[in-house]
Amino acid sequence: MSDHNEAMRITLKVWRQDGADDAGRMETYHLGDVSAHMSFLEMLDVLNEQLTATGQEPVAFDHDCREGICGSCALMIDGQAHGPQPGTTVCQLHMRHYSDGDTIHVEPWRANAFPVLKDLVVDRTAFDRIQAAGGYISVNTGSPPDANAIPVSTGEANSAMDAASCIACGACVAACPNASAMLYVGARVAHLGQLPQGAPERQRRALRMLAQADQEGFGACSNVYECEAACPKDISVENIAFLNREYLKASFSARE
Amino acid sequence: MNTLRWFGNVLASSIGRKAVMALTGLLLVGFLIAHLAGNLTLFADVEGAAFNAYAGKLLDLGPLLYVAEVGLVLLFGIHIYLAIRLTLDNREARRTGYVIRNDRGAKTLGSASMPVTGVLILGYTILHLFDFRFDESFEEDGALLVRNTLSQPLHGVIYVIAAGVVGLHVSHGFQSAFQSLGWNHPRYMPLVKQISIGLAALLAAGFAALPLYFLFTGGAQS
Amino acid sequence: MSPKTTDPMLDSKAPSGPIAERWNKHRFDMKLVNPANKRKFHVLVVGTGLAGASAAASLAELGYRVSSFCIQDSPRRAHSIAAQGGINAAKNYQNDGDSVYRLFYDTVKGGDYRARESNVYRLAEVANNIIDQCVAQGVPFAREYGGVLSNRSFGGAQVSRTFYARGQTGQQLLLGAYGAMMRQVGAGKIKLYTRREMIDLVKVDDVARGIVTRHAVTGELERFAGDAVLLCTGGYGNVFYLSTNAKASNVTAAWRAHKRGAFFANPCFTQIHPTCIPVSGEYQSKLTLMSESLRNDGRVWVPRKKRDERRPADIPEDERDYYLERRYPSFGNLVPRDVASRAAKERCDAGYGVGETGLAVFLDFRDAIQREGEDTIRARYGNLFQMYEKITGDDPYSTPMRIYPAVHYTMGGLWVDYNLESTVPGLFVLGEANFSDHGANRLGASALMQGLADGYFVVPYTVGQHFASRQLAPVTVEHEAFAEAEAASAERVQRLLSIGGRRSVESFHRELGGIMWNYVGMARNEAGLKTAIESIRGLRAEFWQNLRMPGTATGLNASLHHALRVADFLEFGELMALDALERPESCGGHFREESQTPEGEALRDDENFAHVAAWEFQGVGERPTRHVEPLEFEEVLLTQRSYK
Ligand SMILES: Cc1cc2nc3c(=O)[nH]c(=O)nc-3n(C[C@H](O)[C@H](O)[C@H](O)COP(=O)(O)OP(=O)(O)OC[C@H]3O[C@@H](n4cnc5c(N)ncnc54)[C@H](O)[C@@H]3O)c2cc1C
Ligand code: HEM
Ligand code: HEM
Ligand code: SF4
Ligand code: F3S
Ligand code: FES
Repeated sequence: MSDHNEAMRITLKVWRQDGADDAGRMETYHLGDVSAHMSFLEMLDVLNEQLTATGQEPVAFDHDCREGICGSCALMIDGQAHGPQPGTTVCQLHMRHYSDGDTIHVEPWRANAFPVLKDLVVDRTAFDRIQAAGGYISVNTGSPPDANAIPVSTGEANSAMDAASCIACGACVAACPNASAMLYVGARVAHLGQLPQGAPERQRRALRMLAQADQEGFGACSNVYECEAACPKDISVENIAFLNREYLKASFSARE
Repeated sequence: MNTLRWFGNVLASSIGRKAVMALTGLLLVGFLIAHLAGNLTLFADVEGAAFNAYAGKLLDLGPLLYVAEVGLVLLFGIHIYLAIRLTLDNREARRTGYVIRNDRGAKTLGSASMPVTGVLILGYTILHLFDFRFDESFEEDGALLVRNTLSQPLHGVIYVIAAGVVGLHVSHGFQSAFQSLGWNHPRYMPLVKQISIGLAALLAAGFAALPLYFLFTGGAQS
Repeated sequence: MSPKTTDPMLDSKAPSGPIAERWNKHRFDMKLVNPANKRKFHVLVVGTGLAGASAAASLAELGYRVSSFCIQDSPRRAHSIAAQGGINAAKNYQNDGDSVYRLFYDTVKGGDYRARESNVYRLAEVANNIIDQCVAQGVPFAREYGGVLSNRSFGGAQVSRTFYARGQTGQQLLLGAYGAMMRQVGAGKIKLYTRREMIDLVKVDDVARGIVTRHAVTGELERFAGDAVLLCTGGYGNVFYLSTNAKASNVTAAWRAHKRGAFFANPCFTQIHPTCIPVSGEYQSKLTLMSESLRNDGRVWVPRKKRDERRPADIPEDERDYYLERRYPSFGNLVPRDVASRAAKERCDAGYGVGETGLAVFLDFRDAIQREGEDTIRARYGNLFQMYEKITGDDPYSTPMRIYPAVHYTMGGLWVDYNLESTVPGLFVLGEANFSDHGANRLGASALMQGLADGYFVVPYTVGQHFASRQLAPVTVEHEAFAEAEAASAERVQRLLSIGGRRSVESFHRELGGIMWNYVGMARNEAGLKTAIESIRGLRAEFWQNLRMPGTATGLNASLHHALRVADFLEFGELMALDALERPESCGGHFREESQTPEGEALRDDENFAHVAAWEFQGVGERPTRHVEPLEFEEVLLTQRSYK
């Protein structure tokens, strides 16, 4: 923990890769004036200003909301997805957790299903394709009954909400030794599958989403649980069990 | 035909494979418990009468024993085949690794070493089968063969290590199988994890007990 | 008197008759497209926030061919995802006297009488359907033990009509709409184009027929032709550089459409949210909102002594100034956003602000924790407190939060008629990007409602009217209008890359933000606005001479995208200041210091300004033409708002 008003000197080792075809390498940069109040991304902004000023190309990284909800930001920091703070996205990580003189390694998510596009930016569209395969409740605009027609217990609603808070950042994949997307898929299957509204489609949803995830080249889950520990939204691996159960039940009984 | 295709699909899916691994794994755990119980009869009397009686009962099963053995071979075979497939596929899912890698402590020694402990168990089992299963003298006096084998320092040490390795494999494997089959409930999972550790410790201690005993007593019929 | 004659360019097409029947009647009057013909029409939907995702899904369900565009790598990352508080609807589940009419009434009044009554009524009317729709999609709204939906009172409303999903309502609503949209993507009805930024609108025969986009990864310029274009591109709060908006939020899509003939309405109407985490240093890249719901239990105060450096806990009760409770005894801490924001600014300007910068006030939960216990407060606000602690390092359970107002929402936007169609035929504008429903101030939990109302329940009908009533000749991207627009875009990109100056785009954006905040922010006056216009012009000129652009036109170049946006903000900022200058009254979020009551409250001038100002582009640096759409209030009586 650093003193709040000291300026810190930080050494950054950052993965630079010009494009999908470039081999890529780690490059070292020095920052002399990092404030403890800065967010990690603001520190990268400062680095980029410095690079721009000296005629070099800024480091590309994904970010948007900068408040931990859009799921854009995605950095492996010192070998940990989203950095050292539990339950925290990179954009919410602040430099007060570092000290003067620290060296920090920054790498992109690594998984075949998430190819690097440039520097720290990866392609996560596989996640969208998984949703397109079945991550929804089929209900056309205009057709539903009154919102209170089907009561939902607070238990179900809360547990669905827990699962639904996934932000699709991909940290689970990045942290999993198998680059498995089961936490992400499980979260959606468990969110919709637990609600009465999502029940009619549960089997189809589980079968199709898993088939797509497998096809995208994510690994299988071997229950290592690093995903849960890395997840900035504390999504529980119970959701993976839910997915397994749902999928197995569906495999045995679906009449598709 | 349809059923076959369906089964093929399940086996081709990541979750289907894991489920089969889990089932075979749990059955193997069942075998180990029974096997351990049988082995521990050696402690019942030093002469090995109880053990030989137990072995004799098994041998008397005749063809039924073969059926059981074929089942066991299948269990091992399927479990090993899928383990290799899964491990290789999972490696393949991340061709470029990280320069720096730090886990967050969710990974355990057991979970991280499943492929390694698996291969060690395989190697050990082959050795083990040559020691006992394919040794003719087993039918005459099994207890004696065991005693003689385990009191050789090299064998004894390998058996002790193997017991630890099996324990490590099961410490993750048992609870993992529950998760793989979808049996994770917040109320029971902590218990399952405790049982998993307990069972692993029991198996490790149980299987290590005989070789340790024979190593230290030199196998002498005191 | 406001001019009552309707500007021929600004026919609102609002139906007449009893307000409660207008939408029904209008829907009946609109022409329908034969179901078999629907797949012949191709709709380009730009933006995948609540407005865009709901529109794309609904149109595809109806059978139209849809292409959907967004800047982010996934449609689900649109900034709607960040909305915390909730969504309104007059379900009256709480039996507290709510009704469609009351929601309508509150919204018109809350907007300080600068919105069109017909539109607002329709919004209130369809809001109930939105809740039904969202629940059916699996949005896990908060529930009571009996299993029915729970509501809270929000933003000072006298009834409990806000539905919410913890502090993540926007996320959950967007996931619902995103799911609906992805279902159509899976079915092949929607083509998804992510990481695309629209940088021009293409008109053929004066009708919007396509767009030009730039691919964020390859840098490629692409043309897309269609039969209607829907802009659902969100608000322009980032003209202030610092705001609660996401970094990619921009005015480019709207501004490019404006330059192609779409009028821009009330650009100066900006909402400054009172409860945000204050700026901590010059590297600050964005501001974080703390939900308004905190004001239900938190008390706002500053020390009575200037620059009081004591720890807040050491400042005794009689040396604290609970200025909202003092000034507005009946609403206290729950006064509307604009009022609360100005009051905080007033205290800080007077030297009573707290924190290192003196630009912050306390939001204190001490009394609430004493009264209800820490556990209750944790249950209510736990995730917000945690977020605050993550960002500031302070623990709000033991020391008061420090908050300050920040730019949050833009009520202004492209002018649209009752059909949500802009002054360019075939160009529809939805969600925050249009100006339509919130007048000069938006009530809490109403933007989510509006985005979804536009997308699910309004535009699917009104686009049909466009197709059924106009003869649209087939157009392809080979048309010369596309070539011209693409060439112009390519030229703009080249120009930016070839300036070869010394200043980064970031520094220009920051400086523009400073000008906007100081002169076109919470309080505006004539001299300041004139200064702003001069300064923006100067900065714009410098931008085109002194910009330093790293990288090239191909490949991923985030600075280039940023520069394209800042170039547009630099033109747009001037229009905003001009609009503020030309509206010398105070209303809602627009506070002209010249127009206030003796107590310092906003003073409207209904005689002269009960109208929408819609600006027509005449060229960069040229004075745009100010058109006026008079507002008629048949239902809601014009009164001065009072929260005393
Ligand atoms: C922090 C925060 C909290 C809020 N809380 C609430 C609340 O509790 N209740 C409430 O009612 N409202 C709230 N609001 C307001 C509300 O969230 C927004 O007004 C609303 O979500 C806007 O939705 P939208 O669909 O119009 O635009 P957005 O969700 O902003 O979506 C814009 C879309 O357009 C795309 N886009 C933009 N420009 C381009 C371009 N040039 N080319 C291509 N695509 C483009 C983007 O990629 C994105 O997909 C909040 C806002 C903020 C910032
Ligand atoms: C008596 C012997 C064995 C027992 C009792 C056993 C038991 C188990 C159990 C219960 C699991 C958990 C399954 C799951 O998580 O779904 C498992 C997993 C595993 N086993 Fe075994 N196993 C044995 C032998 C072997 C052998 C011989 C190998 C390899 C050569 C092996 C390799 C593995 C691997 C790699 C896994 C992890 C697979 C994954 O989760 O992806 N095991 N084992
Ligand atoms: C002290 C420890 C052990 C002792 C004394 C022991 C003893 C024996 C004996 C005597 C046999 C021969 C039975 C026969 O020929 O029918 C046997 C078989 C076998 N053992 Fe063990 N064993 C031990 C540990 C293990 C462990 C840890 C494993 C697990 C991997 C294992 C797996 C097997 C298998 C698979 C067979 C073959 C069973 C059959 O063919 O019926 N054993 N064991
Ligand atoms: S499950 Fe967690 S880590 Fe994985 S994508 Fe969702 S939020 Fe990110
Ligand atoms: S870390 Fe990987 S192995 Fe499974 S439990 Fe999580 S996906
Ligand atoms: S930038 Fe949106 S979650 Fe980090």
